[in-house]
Amino acid sequence: MKRVDSSLVKVFVCSLPVVLLCGLFSYLYNTGMVDRTTDVAQFCNAFAGFVYAAWMTLCIVFSIRLMVSGPFRDQLLSRVTFVQERDEREVMLTGKATKTTFLTTLAILLFLFCLSCFQVSVYRVPPEKALDGKTGVVSLGLNFKLLESTKQVGADADEFRNQDIFTYSGLPVSSTAIILGLLFWQVCSYNATMRRLTRRF
Amino acid sequence: MSKNLPKLTIINRLNVLRAERRLTQEQLAKDIGVTRATIVAIEGGGYNPSLELAFRIARYFNSDINSIFSVEEESR
Repeated sequence: MKRVDSSLVKVFVCSLPVVLLCGLFSYLYNTGMVDRTTDVAQFCNAFAGFVYAAWMTLCIVFSIRLMVSGPFRDQLLSRVTFVQERDEREVMLTGKATKTTFLTTLAILLFLFCLSCFQVSVYRVPPEKALDGKTGVVSLGLNFKLLESTKQVGADADEFRNQDIFTYSGLPVSSTAIILGLLFWQVCSYNATMRRLTRRF
Repeated sequence: MSKNLPKLTIINRLNVLRAERRLTQEQLAKDIGVTRATIVAIEGGGYNPSLELAFRIARYFNSDINSIFSVEEESR
């Protein structure tokens, strides 16, 4: 399995430039900057499709291997995230930095969870719908969905609304962007904490 | 950790022993299998080595662990 893992890493790293080139070609092809009628362009487009399919499969296999294989994960992710454990002091520092990163990430996730659940709407209703003569309405809500759906929660309230003043219904950031942000945060937080601890110990 | 327990400070004579034998931090680190930063941290009192490393250091200097490391109770 060790040989398979090392081959996986090599293929993954070596294929990156090819995938980037294919991506560049696809962009030029789709925007019409390359003549689509030529045989060469059509062949290259088909080849790029094949490369994407192969690379996506490789990515999935690669990430599954990272999840299930401890030694592979340790070996690869330690190198990527600059984790160094050359002696017992560095092992201790790694533990402290990991704890700090874990707890701050947990705090961020809690914050993001709150932001994604909370719904706030401030709006005005027509005078005939006013309650006790008050036309300004503040609507608060909690929204938790296990599965993503396109239907808007609270749409039934829209018919009463006349003038939205402020509406907040969950995070306006895509889940992919949040995951990417958390990935960067993990690596940056770990390294910053490690640097700070190294100065202290 | 209990707040009632007195704080113990571990002090060491590593820099003295090293100077007596005219060893550099780099040499000592290499000989006992740690990084130079660890030797710097131990000498500066910022890091207390594990028992295993403490014994390794004592064995390296052919001396008793108590003659290298000692404990002082911090007055409050």
